[in-house]
Amino acid sequence: MGATLTYTEVELISGLLARDEKIFTYLYDHYSPALYGVALKVVGEEAAAGDVLQEVFVKIWRNIDRYDASKGRLFTWMLNITRNTAIDSLRSKNHKLEQRVQDVNSVALMYEPQLAVHLSVDHLGLTKVIEKLQKDQRIIIDMAYFKGHTQEEIARSLEIPLGTVKTRMRNAIIQLRTLLKQL
Amino acid sequence: MDPQHFISSGIIELYMAGIASEEEVRELEAAMAQFPAVAAEVEAYRRNMEEYIRLQGRTPEADIKTSLFNKINNEPNLQEGEPVPDQHLQQPKVVSMQETKSLSWKWLATAAAVLLVGSLVLNYVFFNRYKEFREYKDKYQSLLVSQNSILSKSNLYKTRLEQMQESMEIIQDPKVLKVPMPGTKAFPEALATVFWNPQSQEVYLKVNKLPEPTTDKQYQLWAIVDGKPVDMGVFEMGDTASLLQKMKVTGKAQMFAVTLEKKGGALQPTMEQMYVAGKIPG
Repeated sequence: MGATLTYTEVELISGLLARDEKIFTYLYDHYSPALYGVALKVVGEEAAAGDVLQEVFVKIWRNIDRYDASKGRLFTWMLNITRNTAIDSLRSKNHKLEQRVQDVNSVALMYEPQLAVHLSVDHLGLTKVIEKLQKDQRIIIDMAYFKGHTQEEIARSLEIPLGTVKTRMRNAIIQLRTLLKQL
Repeated sequence: MDPQHFISSGIIELYMAGIASEEEVRELEAAMAQFPAVAAEVEAYRRNMEEYIRLQGRTPEADIKTSLFNKINNEPNLQEGEPVPDQHLQQPKVVSMQETKSLSWKWLATAAAVLLVGSLVLNYVFFNRYKEFREYKDKYQSLLVSQNSILSKSNLYKTRLEQMQESMEIIQDPKVLKVPMPGTKAFPEALATVFWNPQSQEVYLKVNKLPEPTTDKQYQLWAIVDGKPVDMGVFEMGDTASLLQKMKVTGKAQMFAVTLEKKGGALQPTMEQMYVAGKIPG
């Protein structure tokens, strides 16, 4: 990913702090697919994910001066904002009602190979990872990492013993790392 | 615990997934601060997870970007990058205090504007009501005047009616004698009637037709008792003449007559000025 960047992280941050719209456009163009993917995974439908994405970038624009570089990279910070905004959106009452209907379809759809492709990642790479990562491994990673579910929630949702959650999670992430290294 | 042990313990995986316990998080963060190798490994994991995210990235619809940039360019507070309260970001307290301050100011301004508009509306409504009220007041007063005039007319009619009823009762009383007094030779057109109750001795006069006298003169009724004229009183003409007029009482009479005398009446009748006269029937 670093190779595709024409700005260093320091340049990005100082540009954002100066409310430089050119930098902000660059930020949007390069990070919106990943953040949109996260929002989509959490909220499960495109319109709501679009709203979340917009809210996330507004928050970044307004609050860049509160980003602390010593606590993590910019992408990690933006990722946290996205995850939290999306989870909040999902928890909001109105959305919940729609979500009940959506859940059935979106869970199934989400684990189909994705058609949209990120700028720097080719479709093949994704397919490779998806194919080799077992479906239940993907689900357990996504529940924890994207949706912020606790061990208890995961155990209840997947109907597995609480102690098994840790083991499966560990194995799933190790498998994921192995697959990513092969790309 | 050496760094390598940490790396293979499996805590990093749970930490990455966000399901490590508080104790595990504390341990790992302490190890990251202590051993650069652990910190590097955690960072490598993080990049892997973020790569996994990127793999699943999807290009959002173009209109989201358009709408976002419109929002940022058109909202003054966004252009200035004014911070908003957000629980996910640092320093939420300070920001929310600022927000509360400006919110309450805006709220006050809004409330004041709403109150002003409300007051204007009420002014208009009440002014219209006042105008209506004034119209009604005028109408009410004119109604009051006309009601008074109706009332006084009605009283008049009531009095007239009572007088008529009274007259009817007198006329219809079987004890009352009706004594018609036709005109004398000198005044053949004249006509008057006496209603006399010999028991109660009451005498009433009804003018049927008598010429209106000059202002210095009045008609006077006489009863002829045993050949002598007895004064029964003067009477009014005009409107009063249409009613029965109560005269002086007498228990005896053979005849009644009317003469025209000076105002207030005379002690003896002026025979030349006798207009009407009539005998008691029977």
